[in-house]
Amino acid sequence: MKKSKTGRGRQKSGLLPELMAAHQKRTLLIRLLSLALGAATIGQAVLLAQAVQRIFVEKAAPASLIAVFALLLGVMAVRTLLAHANGRIGLRIAADAKKELRARLLRTLAANPLITARQGQTGGKVSLALDTVDEADGYFSQYTPKMIEASIIPLLILIAVFILHVPSGLILLFTAPFIPLFMALIGIQTKHKSEEKFEQLARFSGTFLDSLQGLVTLKLFGRAKRQEREIERSSLSYRDATMDILRVAFTNTFALETIVMLGIGIVALELALQLVVFKNMQFHTAFLILLLVPEFYNLLKNMGTAFHGGRTSLGAIRNIELTLAENGIRETQTAGQSDNQSVRGNTVTGSTMMGSTVTSDVDAASDLGASRGDQTPAFAASQEDSVPEKSFPPAIELSELSFHYGSDAFTLNAGSLLIEPGQQIAIVGKSGSGKTTLLHLIAGLLPPSSGEVRIAGRALTQASEDDWFKHVTYITQHPYIFAGTVAENIAIGTDRDVSRTEIVQAAEAAGLSALAAELEHGYDTIVGDGGRGLSGGEKQRLALARAFLKRPSVLLFDEPTVGLDLHTERILMQAIAELSQQATVITIAHRLHTIRQADRILFMEQGRLIGSGSHEELLDTLPPYAQMVEIQRKGITT
Amino acid sequence: MSEFSLFFRAMLKERKDILLSILGGFLAGIAGVVLFSASGYLIAKTVFVPPLYTLILLTSLVKILGLVRAASRYGERLFSHRATFSLLSRLRTDFFARLVPLAPGILNRKRSGDLLARIVGDIESLQFYFLRVAYPPIIVVSVFLATVLFASFFSIWIALLLMLGMLITAFAVPAFVRIGQHKTDGRVRRQRAALSSETTELLYGFIDLKVYGRLQQCEQALLAASGELTEAQQSDALHLLRGQSLHSFVTFFVSWGVLVLGAFLIANGSMAGVFLAMLIMASMTVFDESAALATLPAYKRDSAFAANRLGETFAAAESNTDGKADSKPAAKLERDAAVSVELDNVHFRYAEDWRPVLSGVSLQFEAGSKTAIVGPSGSGKTSILELILKLHAPTEGRIVLNGTPIGELDAEDLWSRTNVVLQAGHFFRGTVRDNLLLEDDSRSEQELLNVLEQVNLPGKRLDDLILEKGENLSDGEKQRLAIARALLKSGRLWLLDEPTSSLDYVTERRVLEAMLERAKDDTLVMVCHRLAGLERMDQIVVVDRGVIVETGTYDQLMQIRGYFYEMKQIERQMIGSFDDAEA
Repeated sequence: MKKSKTGRGRQKSGLLPELMAAHQKRTLLIRLLSLALGAATIGQAVLLAQAVQRIFVEKAAPASLIAVFALLLGVMAVRTLLAHANGRIGLRIAADAKKELRARLLRTLAANPLITARQGQTGGKVSLALDTVDEADGYFSQYTPKMIEASIIPLLILIAVFILHVPSGLILLFTAPFIPLFMALIGIQTKHKSEEKFEQLARFSGTFLDSLQGLVTLKLFGRAKRQEREIERSSLSYRDATMDILRVAFTNTFALETIVMLGIGIVALELALQLVVFKNMQFHTAFLILLLVPEFYNLLKNMGTAFHGGRTSLGAIRNIELTLAENGIRETQTAGQSDNQSVRGNTVTGSTMMGSTVTSDVDAASDLGASRGDQTPAFAASQEDSVPEKSFPPAIELSELSFHYGSDAFTLNAGSLLIEPGQQIAIVGKSGSGKTTLLHLIAGLLPPSSGEVRIAGRALTQASEDDWFKHVTYITQHPYIFAGTVAENIAIGTDRDVSRTEIVQAAEAAGLSALAAELEHGYDTIVGDGGRGLSGGEKQRLALARAFLKRPSVLLFDEPTVGLDLHTERILMQAIAELSQQATVITIAHRLHTIRQADRILFMEQGRLIGSGSHEELLDTLPPYAQMVEIQRKGITT
Repeated sequence: MSEFSLFFRAMLKERKDILLSILGGFLAGIAGVVLFSASGYLIAKTVFVPPLYTLILLTSLVKILGLVRAASRYGERLFSHRATFSLLSRLRTDFFARLVPLAPGILNRKRSGDLLARIVGDIESLQFYFLRVAYPPIIVVSVFLATVLFASFFSIWIALLLMLGMLITAFAVPAFVRIGQHKTDGRVRRQRAALSSETTELLYGFIDLKVYGRLQQCEQALLAASGELTEAQQSDALHLLRGQSLHSFVTFFVSWGVLVLGAFLIANGSMAGVFLAMLIMASMTVFDESAALATLPAYKRDSAFAANRLGETFAAAESNTDGKADSKPAAKLERDAAVSVELDNVHFRYAEDWRPVLSGVSLQFEAGSKTAIVGPSGSGKTSILELILKLHAPTEGRIVLNGTPIGELDAEDLWSRTNVVLQAGHFFRGTVRDNLLLEDDSRSEQELLNVLEQVNLPGKRLDDLILEKGENLSDGEKQRLAIARALLKSGRLWLLDEPTSSLDYVTERRVLEAMLERAKDDTLVMVCHRLAGLERMDQIVVVDRGVIVETGTYDQLMQIRGYFYEMKQIERQMIGSFDDAEA
């Protein structure tokens, strides 16, 4: 409860309160069940004490106790069922929360992995969606129900003991706070200690994996034997460092258990004194208290264990929250920007060109329309007007385009620029100058931080991108091969139904027929993950086959730098030439041949588009460009 | 299962800690039982108004037992955890020793990183086998047996009932959970693997998916897979919960049984009433110890799975390299002479690949000659070097070094006579000096610094720290350090796999110069990814798709205008792709 309040206070409510809010009914149910569970716990003790009193003190015949026995067994059964029910609800909450967390994570990952690609490894993201979410499980399935139980049942027991016998109740009341206190102490001290030893632990724990990874190197340098000793040494050092931390925790646990045991001992002593010396208590009451006391302490100890588990889970949840927040900020940022853009569109371009004001209004309307789902006929017509089929290849217009990645310093400034239909564009620059980022922005694969890309005069937004991608093919340096057959991998290039003949034709045009003949099931052989592995050249050609099938009007192409076989090289050159006849081609160019043939070269340096023009023009007017061409030549020829 | 036997051998070596922890656990358990029994007896005794001193005696006993319990618990925890971590250390060294002869065969796959991480994880989950699977039943059974013995002094029937309770909680309930698990066994793992590979596919294939409009579809599939995983995990957890609930009901039921049985025994006079409260307390406490058994099947399954998987991984790798270890070939290369290498109609295919890497390669590297191997990526260049290094055996054909077939050569001797730069040489956490992997301590400080200077790393100090996998080094620095490593070896055969691919031209030339100077009387084979500076090589070998396309000197190859010539033409066209990241 407290948490959700502070969460709301922080303006943007946290992930956890948000998740828990969805389960208010369930937590309420756990509370009610815990009340009943407490009652059953006390009831069990009462009946047990009652039975012993009758048998032992009053010497009752077993036959007269059948009702008590039956009732006791019934209460025990109810108690088991109630605890089971609480556990089940906890699992249900955990399952729902995990599903929700995973869905959110996957959605943000799917929304745009290119943005975060620079910051994290793919493996890390996969483990976030799997392992970290599983780590969060404990908070919902264990911590939540256990904490609720621990906050209700001991209180009930305490009240019961107070009613039965005030001094015993006081003993419990005074010793109880020590338990959470020591639990907290354990937490703080171990955390402190492990932070102190963190560097050491990291060093020792990594040695094994490090050695395995470098095994070939170790063997070649004759060091494998020596490394075995090194592993032993570091593992033992790891053990000692960890034991230092654990010793602190165990010492505190020792103190805690001593308190519990002494508490029980004091209660027992005090009860005995009451019984023998003061003679003001019945056996029944004393035995009942004796039965209740361990239940009381056990529950408090459980709370401690649950608390520790909960902290690990909380860490995991915080991790997820951070990832979500990073991407979330970006989403709201881009959303805010598109608003700004339409405003700017009205003020800046509105004065010069009425047309563009109209289009940005249409954009705003199209966003609304998309969310409403029903479009007025007039609007549908206007949308068709804005991007008619025949306008492909379209003019591509960059307007004050800039982009920066979330966490690092790299910024891209492309300014404004018009790419006319059918033009051949080459993007040139050193590695790290922002060529790929620029191409991704033009393609609509990255949301611009400011400015916009206009396709045939119409801003490229999320709403219009499906339309746009129908006409685009992007051949990367490392085309991705999906797990599936060769034919399926080619057919992914288009969303229309394609015949087998079309697929085979595209494959042949891309020079894949020899490969198909080599594979045991031809085009029906499974490739990609878990299937036949393909060489780099074959992957390139498969990507070409996708393009041949699609016949895009805009072709984006990241020219391979090294390592292609001549066969693929030749096919690639031919294919691009052929595809470019009906398409605008934008290439990240590495070959002088491509660059010379381009209608226009975009030269990038340190994230800025510093010049554009033909090869000859740039040689004359842009010294960094001339220098780059010159250096490369010198490097290779001498 | 040899993995478990390996584990038990390791356990045997840690027997002192293990015995101490068992002792601690037993004492703690027994002290608890006695403590509560004594309290029950104490209260019951008061009914007869006993002399005060018996009460004082009993309560002191209760206090002392409380301390004993806490103290032995402490000891138990300490020793059992120590044993666990010592076991881990032994397991690691044992598995490492087993892995050494299997490398690089086991490491050659594309996902060797995953495989290694998996091995590390599996060994780690084996370490908990002791703490969570082997250990708890020992404690439970011993504490129970002692309690049963204790109870048998008062009533053999109650003792038998406790015995029955132990059998049910320690064996029947876990067995019940295991049966439930069998049904869902592997489902969670399969769903996890499916979700993981689909997520990976989405992340790597993002551009293609987005451009081809398949993103939505993929996302839906992912969400569905996530849902199924959660369902599977849920049903797994429910099984465990059911086991726990069953367990707690059995403990209640046994206490109830003690009560009812006690009532009848007291009624027919075969047991004194004063012991009833005590026995009930004892039966309730003794089950505290067995709570850990309810979750045991989950851990047991995990470690069994880990052991199985390790077993399979190793068995598969060991069967691939069989026969090698039995008779270690003893032939050695002669010292102080350059090595000649000959490949005769060599075919090679990686075990897991569907087509050969090399088909019918015949090559001659004369003693003292310098050869460059060029060709597109994936053409088999690296495999030629690996075969000469005896890291793999050719599927067909002969490799001969200095007239001796490679099969008869002692691999370790061969490696000590070879100066190697691998494409992805490994760097370990440690200092620069550690990472030079020196053969002995005979090199002076100054010599080492000179070598660093030669490879253009004058800024590095020998005591600079390098992180795992050299992650604090740039690719160029790694390559230069790898070359420094080779320069410090005294072999007469140089095998270099794209040693300078991440360096800029100026540095590349300088470093190659230093290397060629050192190797001027030695045999050198270098896989090159660039075609610059090959004029001085005695021989250039052009490989494509596992076949030798051309061989000859630079001038010869340029003259015939074949494959090499055309590759050179393409390279001349290249712009903006070779600049060093650090430049």
